[in-house]
Amino acid sequence: MTPHITPVMLGQVIVSGLLAGALYAMVALGLGLIFGVMRVLNVAHGPLLMLGAYITYFLFITVGLNPYLSLLVSMPIVFVIGVALQHFLVRRVVDAPELSSLLLTFGISIALVNVAQLAFTSDLRSVEFITGAFLVGPFAFSKARVIACLFAAAITALAFLFLQKTRLGKAIRAVSQSREVAQVCGIDVHRIHMLAFGMASALAAAGGSLMTVMIAIQPEMGAVYTFKSFLVIVLGGAGNYPGALLGGLLLGLVEQLASLFLTTQVNEAVAYVLLVLVLLLRPTGLLGGRST
Amino acid sequence: MTMSSWKSITAAAVVAAVTAVALPAAAQAPVKIGASISMTGTYAKPGIYQKEGYELCVQEANDKGGLLGRKIDLVVYDDQSTPATGQRLYEKLITEDKVDVVMGPYSSAISEAVANVTEKYKKVMVAPLAATTSIFKKGRKYIFMVISPAEVYLEGLVDIAAKRGLKTIAIVNEDTLFPKTAANGTAEFAKKRGLQIVLQEAYPKGNTDFSALLTKIKAANPDVIAASTYFDDAVALTRQMKELNVTPKMYGVTVGGDLPEFYDLLKQNAEYIYGATQWEPTLPYPGQKEFMASYQKKFNHEPSYHAAAGYAGCVLYLDAVKKAGTLDADKVREQLLKLETRTMLGDYKVDADGFQTAHKMVLFQWQDGKKVTVWPDDLAAGGKARFPTPPWNQR
Repeated sequence: MTPHITPVMLGQVIVSGLLAGALYAMVALGLGLIFGVMRVLNVAHGPLLMLGAYITYFLFITVGLNPYLSLLVSMPIVFVIGVALQHFLVRRVVDAPELSSLLLTFGISIALVNVAQLAFTSDLRSVEFITGAFLVGPFAFSKARVIACLFAAAITALAFLFLQKTRLGKAIRAVSQSREVAQVCGIDVHRIHMLAFGMASALAAAGGSLMTVMIAIQPEMGAVYTFKSFLVIVLGGAGNYPGALLGGLLLGLVEQLASLFLTTQVNEAVAYVLLVLVLLLRPTGLLGGRST
Repeated sequence: MTMSSWKSITAAAVVAAVTAVALPAAAQAPVKIGASISMTGTYAKPGIYQKEGYELCVQEANDKGGLLGRKIDLVVYDDQSTPATGQRLYEKLITEDKVDVVMGPYSSAISEAVANVTEKYKKVMVAPLAATTSIFKKGRKYIFMVISPAEVYLEGLVDIAAKRGLKTIAIVNEDTLFPKTAANGTAEFAKKRGLQIVLQEAYPKGNTDFSALLTKIKAANPDVIAASTYFDDAVALTRQMKELNVTPKMYGVTVGGDLPEFYDLLKQNAEYIYGATQWEPTLPYPGQKEFMASYQKKFNHEPSYHAAAGYAGCVLYLDAVKKAGTLDADKVREQLLKLETRTMLGDYKVDADGFQTAHKMVLFQWQDGKKVTVWPDDLAAGGKARFPTPPWNQR
C-alpha cells in the first residue's frame, strides 16, 4: 500500500522531523531542567504549555498582537506562575519520596486543565496568522513550522548560553550536580529551585505560543507534550541538558520516519520501542544521565 | 355465611374501593424519563445540545397534556464524557431513582457501555447519538438507533467521484472506533464503485503532524481524499494539505467539517471541502420550521444535529408509547420495530435489531462560506458540487 519512497519524499520527511524535533527539544529542556535540579518529574509541564498557547491566542484575538511577539508576554507570565507553583507547592515535596512530587504535579496538572476548561471552554481555537509553505525546489515547508523551529532554536540557544555563561546559570548547574556542595558554596538553593521551575515553565509556554499558529488549541492539548518531553529527556539522558536537544531532534525524526516507512498509526509505538532499547542498552540515556 | 367470611368480603370491598380511588391518583404521578449526558469533558458541547433536544421534546409533550395523561419529568445527570460513569448513572437511574423510562447518552462509546445496563433491566433505550453498527448487532433487544451508521458517512463522496469518472482514492482515519468504522465503510463503497484505493492509513488520536502521511499521499497522487476525522484533526489535516500543496480533485471529511467553527478556523481554505452531516436545518423535512422556531425561542441559539437527533429520538419514543398505550417495555419495543416515519431529522425505520436502515446521510460542500447540500439528489434542491477542486491559491 505504501507508495515507492523517493529521495524527495525522504528529504521532505527528514526536514519535517527536524522541524518538529526542535520544538520538542525546547519544551523537553524545561522538563529536564526541573528534573535535573530537583529530581521532580513535573507532570504539569504540558498544561503549562497549554497556558502559554492560550495567552498567545487571547492576545491575538483581543489586541491583535503578533503571535511571535507575544512570546515576550507568555513566557514571563508563565515564568511567574512557575515560580509561584514552586514557592507555594512543589517546594514541599522536593525532599519527599519521588511518588509525592509525582502526585502533586499530577494534581496541579488536573487543576490547570479543568480551570482552563471552565475559563476557556473546550472549544478548539486557532490563530490564522501564517499559512502556506516555503517552496524550495520539490520541497514544501510549512511557514508556521519553519518559523516555530527558528524561534525554538534561538530560545534553546539562549537558555544554554544562560546555563553556561551566567553566574545564575552556573548556580543552576551546580545545584543539579550536587545540592549540598552548592549550598556550602553559598548558593540559595530555594531561589535556584524557583528560578529553574520558572525557566522551565517559560520554555513550555514558548512551545505553546509557537504551536498556536500551527495547530488548533484546547485545554487538553498539553498532556501529549508531557509524555513526549519525558521520552525526550530519558532518550537524551535525564539531567543532561544537551541530551534533551539530541533527544528532541531524534524523537521528531523517528516519528516522521516511522510514518513514512511504516504507518502513522505506529509512530508513537516506534518512539517508545526506541525508548525501551535505549534503556536496555544505555540506561543513562544516549549522552549519559546525571550521576547519582 | 359466617361472620369471618363477611368480614373478608367487606375487607375485599374496602381494598377494591381504595384501589379504585388510588389508581387515578397514581396515574397522576409523572412519568420519569432518565438519561445521563456528557455535560463536562470532551463530549460536553454535543452532549449539551442533545440535552436541549430532550428538554424541548419533553416541554412540548407536557404542553400537549403529557404522556398517557401523565406529566413527564426529565432527570438528567452528567457522565463527564466517560463510559464508566455513564454506566453507573444508568444503574442509579433505574434502581435508585426508579425512572420509568430511559433515553440514550451522547456518543457511541458511552451508549455501548450503558446498553449493558439497560438491557439487564429490560428498559427500552432510544439511542439518538450512537452511530456505530456493532452496538446494535450484539443481540440486544431494547436499544434503537436513530441516525445513520458510521459506515455510510462518505457514501455521497464516493458516489459523486464515481459518477465523475474519478479513478483513485486515499482514505485516512483517526485510529478510534467511529472513524475506523467510517473509513472501512468508505473503502467498501469505493471498491464497489470501482475506485482504486491507493492508500489507506490510520493515525493516532491527538496526532497534530501529518507531514509524513501527506507526503505519502502526495506521492500516490489520488483523485479523492476521504478523511475520517473528528474536528481538530480535520482542521490540522486541511492546513497541512495546503502547506504541502496536496491537491486532490475532491476532499471530504466525516465529522467536524459540518461545524461553523470549521469555516471560522480555516476561512477560504475550507472552500470546496466536502463534509458529511446527519442533519441540516435547511433540509426539507416535515416539522423542520416549527422545530427550528421553538428551539431558537427556548434556547436563544440554533440547534446542531445533536440537538435535532435528541429531539427526534425523544419524539419517536413518545410516539411509540402512545401507539402502545402503555410504558411496558416489550409493547413499546414492538411499536418501535414496526414504526416507519419521517421526522424533522429524516426517515426512521429499523431492522429486527433496532439498527437504522432508512435515515440518509447528506453530503455538503462549503461554497462561499455556506454549506450547500450536494447529495443525495432528492435533498440537494438545486445544489451542485463545484468540481474539480482548484489549486489552493485559487480558492
